[in-house]
Amino acid sequence: MKKLLNKIGKYFADFGKAVAKGDIWTKLSLVIMGAGYIGRKQIVKGILMTIVEACVILFTTGVTWPFISKLNTLGTVQREEIFDPLTFESTVNDYDNSLLILLYGIVGIIVIAAFILLYIKNIKNQYALQKQKEEGKHINTFREDVKELINGKFHITLLTLPSLGVIVINVIPIIFMICIAFTNYDDKHMPPTYLFSWVGWKNFKSLFTNSISVSFGYTFPRILCWTLIWAVVATFTCFIGGILLAQLINHRWVKAKKLWRSLFVITIAIPQFVTLLLVRRMFADAGIVNTFCSHVGITQFLKDIGLLASNYSYIPFLSAKGWAHVMIILINIWVGVPYQMLIATGILMNIPEDQLEAARIDGASNRQIFWKVKMPYIMFIMGPSLVTSIIANINNFNVIYLLTQNYTTLDASLANSHAKETDLLITWLFSLTKDYSNYKMASVIGIMTFIICAVITLLSYTRMIKGDKEEVFQ
Amino acid sequence: MKAKKIWGTTWRHLLLIALSVFWLIPIFWLVLTAFSEKKGIDTAHFIPEKFSLDNFVQLFFRPDTAANFPAWFKNSLVIGIGCCIISSLFVLMVSYAFSCMRFKGRKALMSFSIILGMFPGVLSMIAIYFVLKMFGLTNSTLGLIIVYSGASGLGFLICKGFFDTIPASLRESAKLEGASELTTFVKIVIPLSKPMIVYTVINSFLAPWMDFVMARLMITSKDPKEWTVAIGLFNLLQKTLASSYFGVFCAGGCIVAIPISILFVIMQKFYVEGITGGSVKG
Repeated sequence: MKKLLNKIGKYFADFGKAVAKGDIWTKLSLVIMGAGYIGRKQIVKGILMTIVEACVILFTTGVTWPFISKLNTLGTVQREEIFDPLTFESTVNDYDNSLLILLYGIVGIIVIAAFILLYIKNIKNQYALQKQKEEGKHINTFREDVKELINGKFHITLLTLPSLGVIVINVIPIIFMICIAFTNYDDKHMPPTYLFSWVGWKNFKSLFTNSISVSFGYTFPRILCWTLIWAVVATFTCFIGGILLAQLINHRWVKAKKLWRSLFVITIAIPQFVTLLLVRRMFADAGIVNTFCSHVGITQFLKDIGLLASNYSYIPFLSAKGWAHVMIILINIWVGVPYQMLIATGILMNIPEDQLEAARIDGASNRQIFWKVKMPYIMFIMGPSLVTSIIANINNFNVIYLLTQNYTTLDASLANSHAKETDLLITWLFSLTKDYSNYKMASVIGIMTFIICAVITLLSYTRMIKGDKEEVFQ
Repeated sequence: MKAKKIWGTTWRHLLLIALSVFWLIPIFWLVLTAFSEKKGIDTAHFIPEKFSLDNFVQLFFRPDTAANFPAWFKNSLVIGIGCCIISSLFVLMVSYAFSCMRFKGRKALMSFSIILGMFPGVLSMIAIYFVLKMFGLTNSTLGLIIVYSGASGLGFLICKGFFDTIPASLRESAKLEGASELTTFVKIVIPLSKPMIVYTVINSFLAPWMDFVMARLMITSKDPKEWTVAIGLFNLLQKTLASSYFGVFCAGGCIVAIPISILFVIMQKFYVEGITGGSVKG
């Protein structure tokens, strides 16, 4: 922490030093950013820098400033339509749109922040140039600068476009949604007709309250619980299933390995949403599986052993709780195992043969080889990806959403907060936004999901983020 | 010993047959229904009573207000190609910068991207919609390409893991011969990372075929001509349409599977190598 503070201190100290000790050109760049470059004969760079400065200033004053200045209230003038009976036309007043204020405000602030960083960096560069000149060192021409961009500073060339994409598609939306969590943006405060405003931590509090009107406090722990159970069970069943299947196919007595593998891979080839929608139809209340079950007598059998209440004429595979939970996990095994099998096959084939040989010479049985040699090797490679797939399953939207579209909950408290027993946090969030326009609570749930994912990742992953092993193989 | 072998071989094959039948039942049903004469869902028969090619004919040659498969296919293809070009470039570029170059703030940037990746995608979807609307890009293929591939730079982990396994001495010797970083990247690292490129290309090409949530949010147009295959097929199973378009849906599902299977079969070898090669680093 102290190190970080020191770094920040040094950052600004360097800037102050550059301003204080800079000569006329450096000081002039405080106003016109390119001046210093022009003074030191880097004409093109100087002009480019000045153009950037002009663009940012024009963009901020012309486009984003009106929005930034209203960020603290998110707008005060509500939309009003006045119908003029003489001209039969309605006129709309100059209203504030909270949504646009927030969005453009964020964009504007990001642009300004980036510009300030660039500005400080620029002054420091000017000062460095000044020193180089004083010491009589060579100053790069424009051509040399460009050349540097594909050599020593190649990372800047490489990272610029991808970072821009990430900022537009990822960073801005995330900041935007985090802000929404602190507002009252819902179906009663929908721009452009209505305004929404900041409410502080109120939404987070209501996530944990359970009263007659608000049942989030009842729903959230239940959904969270099922999400975690689902993530762990789904990940491990697919993982173990994949390894066992790979193990079965790769056994030396099994003929036509490629054929078997391809048979299972076919299921990957059909887009997931097609198979999921199809399977949902198969297991529907009046679907083909139910027809089959009642003809063969399975429905009656389940009634006899008490697994199915007698008032059902069908098996509610995807429409009653318990049944739906089990079916979702089974269907997920169906979806996920072939993929895991492919990966596991790749890894099993790469196990160094000498290790297996050594184990056999020492008299290890097949089972011992599998548990003592193969499994540790698989775990070594797949361990990190196991964490990733738990996270991926917490966010596994498709399987749950597509399979449980016809599921209606009987629990009034759950229904009150627009959830159902089979929902994950992520599908709950989606239906809150899409069907009920309850953006504020959806954002809060999204932030909670992120915190859960982040904790899981940080607990198990610190090694990987540090990246201390990355040079082992180089 | 011999009896044991026969027994072991038999039960393994029997188990495999049972498993693969179980795995293929929905696929069979998809194909059979696609060739069925009935338009709706036949819940009484697994094997249709009468076969016909009508579902496919309708799919390709009789586009109507609900189903316009040729247009969907074209849209998805354009988006897929655009995506796989941009995504692959982004992933390779970011991976090279993070794996092979050493610069200030590299680790901070990497940690930052991993944290960013942990935010649930669904959370930011709504906001992405507003951002795209700001640029006037909703309801367009370009907008969807940007949505699918814009943040692809974050998916560098596996590819970077692969680059980490390329010996540094190779790059260093290239530099001794006077190659710039750009030359090293294009002439040394890229040719060595074919499995990785194939892996990235397949994944990013398939994304628009598989995903329908994002597409549904971004494309609000009611005109089927502007939909992708995913939205279109999903729409065919809406309650009002399912009874008359289920057969067409199945036919569409079969057709979509063809290009994807071909990709998989050709590149299965690379695919397995690509995944494991990258994750070996641990």
